[in-house]
Amino acid sequence: MSSVIEFTFDDKELTGEKGQSIAAVLISLGTPIVRLTRFEKQPRSIFCGIGICFDCVVIVDGVANQRACLTQIRQGMSVRSQP
Amino acid sequence: MIAIIGAGPAGLAAAVAAARSGAEVALFDASTNFGGQYWRHRTDVAGYKAERAQKYFDAVISSPNITFISEAQVWSAERRDGLIQINYLQGGAESFLTVEKVILATGAHDRTLPFPGWDYPGSMTPGAAQALYKGHGVVAGKRILIAGSGPFLLPVATGLAEAGAHVVGLLEANSPLRWARSPIALLRNPLKFFELIYYLRLLRRYSLKPQFGAAVVGYENGVAQIARVGSSLRAKGVDRREIACDVVAVGWGFQPDVSLGGILGCVEKVDRDGTVIFQVDSSQLSSQANIWIAGEATGIGGADLSITEGEIAGLAASGSEIPKKLLRKRSAQHAFARALQKSYPVGDGWKEWITPETTICRCEEVSHSAILDSIHELGAEDSRTAKLLTRAGMGLCQGRICSRNVAEIIAGARKCEVSPSERIAASNRPLAAPISLGVLADGESLN
Ligand SMILES: Cc1cc2nc3c(=O)[nH]c(=O)nc-3n(C[C@H](O)[C@H](O)[C@H](O)COP(=O)(O)OP(=O)(O)OC[C@H]3O[C@@H](n4cnc5c(N)ncnc54)[C@H](O)[C@@H]3O)c2cc1C
Ligand code: FES
Repeated sequence: MSSVIEFTFDDKELTGEKGQSIAAVLISLGTPIVRLTRFEKQPRSIFCGIGICFDCVVIVDGVANQRACLTQIRQGMSVRSQP
Repeated sequence: MIAIIGAGPAGLAAAVAAARSGAEVALFDASTNFGGQYWRHRTDVAGYKAERAQKYFDAVISSPNITFISEAQVWSAERRDGLIQINYLQGGAESFLTVEKVILATGAHDRTLPFPGWDYPGSMTPGAAQALYKGHGVVAGKRILIAGSGPFLLPVATGLAEAGAHVVGLLEANSPLRWARSPIALLRNPLKFFELIYYLRLLRRYSLKPQFGAAVVGYENGVAQIARVGSSLRAKGVDRREIACDVVAVGWGFQPDVSLGGILGCVEKVDRDGTVIFQVDSSQLSSQANIWIAGEATGIGGADLSITEGEIAGLAASGSEIPKKLLRKRSAQHAFARALQKSYPVGDGWKEWITPETTICRCEEVSHSAILDSIHELGAEDSRTAKLLTRAGMGLCQGRICSRNVAEIIAGARKCEVSPSERIAASNRPLAAPISLGVLADGESLN
């Protein structure tokens, strides 16, 4: 019993299953990069996957520093890459 | 009321034991569901002895004495008029609960070591790869290489294969012959043989052949560099084998998170393998009155030991007698935990894999050479000074990933050992979770 959730990542419209994290959806779509680092602009995806390392931080509905590996997708959610 | 922080095997066992003895329990977890890292917050747990998880889930759900407070990140706790106040964030809002007693069961996370390329997308912990398929039904990549050390690599590799991933290799740095050093621990834990057989069968079913004495020492553009290593982790020779993969999942056992107990003043100690853990007595009571600690935070020993410790802590906190049988069981499981340490040591040879450019602090993007410069040119003698000079460990993760490695690098450069007090200092942080200054200011105004 899975229901489809629609959300956006940097204005791209994406869909995932209820209960999935933002990072899980991005990885399942083959686009694992969630942000570029502040100084060196290096791409980052998830690392610890359980909310410890904060490598996967994104802006969720305007709130920065949200962990993409923990935050579950919600209908209409707007996710942005964090500079 | 008893507050239990962490709803993994230890916290669940503690909750059920305390509730059966008539205590009222508030069970906190940062996740949506209970289960912790192994039973993974899903109701349909699969894997070795999965029915055990269901038993605890059912007991928690059906107990009128247990309230599960989900998605609640406990960021601090403090003593207040003989009681203990638990400060937590739930959906961005701050709340608190005041209780008589606390059981900390906050678990652990994968221990990681740096290598060139470990900060590229595709490099992750085995725990991350497992969390993706167990918790979210997503396989991390097309070709996955599992490496590092410890028995945890087995459920990850077989679980991924079962989930349909192409596992291109399973590299265990240590030799299985090291188990021969712990014959008594094995004899005291005969059930572990069944677990081993369970995994050997799965390895065969998915045609997975572990390769021993090998480690990932670099990763770039979808290619992992593999070196032959001994238990010191020093690379043997200069030859490197290459394995093409889009995910390299490397982990070196587990590292407990001691921040919350540290904030409450619970005394810590350094375990044989350098891990900082809590000091507890035979009833899992910490150095602080009314605070018990169970599970990985008192020493890494796996889910079975976590359950036993949780049960003991739950009984003790609710004032019930602890059966001798349970204490004997814990003693045998402790022996097994020691055998794990002997069988899967993490040497310091990794310091030879890293290059000057290798990122050591992922959050603040501090390189190996920047840390060395802080020692050789700026005179840093410990990780605290190096941290102030380089910002290593000052990012959002508060040094959870890098501080142990930074301390090792500094000690190596200064040709000394990391002191126990430095290990403890490097493992503690003023908040158990980063929170915004606004929340902190609101919290202060409560005082
Ligand atoms: C990613 C990962 C995967 C693992 N998979 C396996 C496996 O497949 N097989 C195996 O035998 N062992 C596995 N382990 C080892 C495992 O840690 C133990 O066997 C077992 O889960 C330990 O139980 P525990 O109750 O001590 O801790 P955990 O299971 O780690 O539970 C701790 C809980 O506390 C919560 N928590 C921590 N801090 C806070 C806080 N401040 N506020 C609120 N909640 C908090 C966490 O969300 C977590 O749910 C895994 C470990 C990790 C890190
Ligand atoms: S991947 Fe580590 S916090 Fe999300």
